[in-house]
Amino acid sequence: MADFFSTYGSLIVSMVLGSLLGLSLYLPLMAGQLSLASPGFYAIGGYIAAILSTKVLTSSNHLFPLPLLLLEMLIAGIVCGLLGIAVGIPTLRLRGIYLAIATIAFVEVLRVVSLNLEITGGAVGIFGIPQPFTHPISYLWIALPLLILSMILFYRLERIRTGRAFIAIREDELAAGAMGINPTHYKILAFALGACLAGIVGAISAHFLNTWNARQGTFDASIIYLTFVLIGGSRTFLGSVLGGMVFTALPEVLRNLSQINGLPDWLAHFLQDGRLIIFGVLIVIGTIFFPQGLVTPHLLSRIASSNITSRKSSKK
Amino acid sequence: MSQPISHISENQQIILEARGLTKVFGGLVAVNNISFTVYQDEIFGLIGPNGAGKTTLFNLITAMLPASSGELFYQGARISRLCCHQIAGVGIARTFQNIRLFGELSVLENVIIARHLHIKSNLLTGILGLSLSVSEEKKSQEKALELLELIGLSDRSTEKAQNLAYGDQRRLEIARALALEPKILLLDEPAAGMNPSEKKQLSQFIRNIRSLFNLTIILIEHHVPLVMELCDRIAVLDFGELIALGTPAIIRNDPVVIEAYLGS
Repeated sequence: MADFFSTYGSLIVSMVLGSLLGLSLYLPLMAGQLSLASPGFYAIGGYIAAILSTKVLTSSNHLFPLPLLLLEMLIAGIVCGLLGIAVGIPTLRLRGIYLAIATIAFVEVLRVVSLNLEITGGAVGIFGIPQPFTHPISYLWIALPLLILSMILFYRLERIRTGRAFIAIREDELAAGAMGINPTHYKILAFALGACLAGIVGAISAHFLNTWNARQGTFDASIIYLTFVLIGGSRTFLGSVLGGMVFTALPEVLRNLSQINGLPDWLAHFLQDGRLIIFGVLIVIGTIFFPQGLVTPHLLSRIASSNITSRKSSKK
Repeated sequence: MSQPISHISENQQIILEARGLTKVFGGLVAVNNISFTVYQDEIFGLIGPNGAGKTTLFNLITAMLPASSGELFYQGARISRLCCHQIAGVGIARTFQNIRLFGELSVLENVIIARHLHIKSNLLTGILGLSLSVSEEKKSQEKALELLELIGLSDRSTEKAQNLAYGDQRRLEIARALALEPKILLLDEPAAGMNPSEKKQLSQFIRNIRSLFNLTIILIEHHVPLVMELCDRIAVLDFGELIALGTPAIIRNDPVVIEAYLGS
């Protein structure tokens, strides 16, 4: 068991963080807004944690104190949330594909800015971000409670006034307006909440990866997170959670596959380095055959009802 | 089929007033300088040939389109600068000609969404499940079920809205609009696609909801007998202009109206 955790510890933590990033993209999508800005806020959150922990909140302890990490997550969440409102107000006037393009531009602008600023370490980035744990698997103590908490919040959100307003806007913005729902207000709220979550995950990731640079949170990442949500399922948060886990693990699985003896060279290389191509193909196939993703509310209700019937029959 | 109307007297209270409403699309004047008043509790019909500007007028009243010029007053207060969700807040609800239900959602959810303005809890109190927000949610669910009972869809509340029959979808749209607890209800061709017996039921239903909820109703309808029988007053539009306004008896015999409908 210990062996398993030491081999796959990093991967398990990455999978949990992937789920959280999927959720951060799912939030604006819940209100019908295809935003690819999550990686940008993820990058900002990471820089906030990296700069704070290496320059401001330095500690002489061998391990970085956990309360300081929580403080960084809080700061990153608040800053990204506020920034989300500021970015959301102008960009959410755009719809559909134009919003997606604007948010890609936002991510690219951030990348270029962080490449050229001194405080972000330029092209080299920030190194030696202090570790709060001795082993990567211990990051689960932070990431897993955050995922569980987020899932509880999403479960509640889908059942209250605010979440219903999001869904109404996704289904028909005009009709939602006629029902007294202020579309602008709720679109910005969903966008800012997604930004806040991405920022928090960024803060954890900066410590987890030990180094942070302009290659974090790029357009590539946008596409990967989009795969999490589109293939996982865009109509229920569980889809994003599962999608985040599966598609974070997929490149590792492919890497293992490529090491099978007797594979032709080109196939081994493709399995190792072609993950973006594979993800791209998956998005195309997914949107054609599973427009709502693999995990749909319909599927969940079927599982739930079959559970009930099997329970009833087992009682007999 | 005649029945006493004219419970509208001269000193009736004005609930909605349009002054010189105009909407221009490029070179086309869809609604041209229309002024009218609607009285409290009346059923106000809007008729006219296809393309006369009836639905555009509805869109102007509900702020789904900005008016090119002209003003709107609700109980004396100007509402022509408000956004569409604010109009709903004022107390004007509508249904759509081309049904706009939230098709992927359940029948019940469709109605509960329209309780939006009557639930006070916000993101925080809602997520934390504080007792106030829980009781509000419960109340809005009960209200929604009452409305479904009224339109006879309570046994199908968990069904997806898009799976309902056409007539049921139309009635669900009315229930959804009623969930807003409006003062004025705008119905855009409520009888479209209904058979004669359904149409008869519909006019009884519209009268029922007027007295149940103290509504003022403005409706667009193509089926002339239904309008004549149901409405207290009727406005006739043709090519964006108001060509006649009055009781059904007056409208029926108005030569201008006859010409617009039948040609000269």
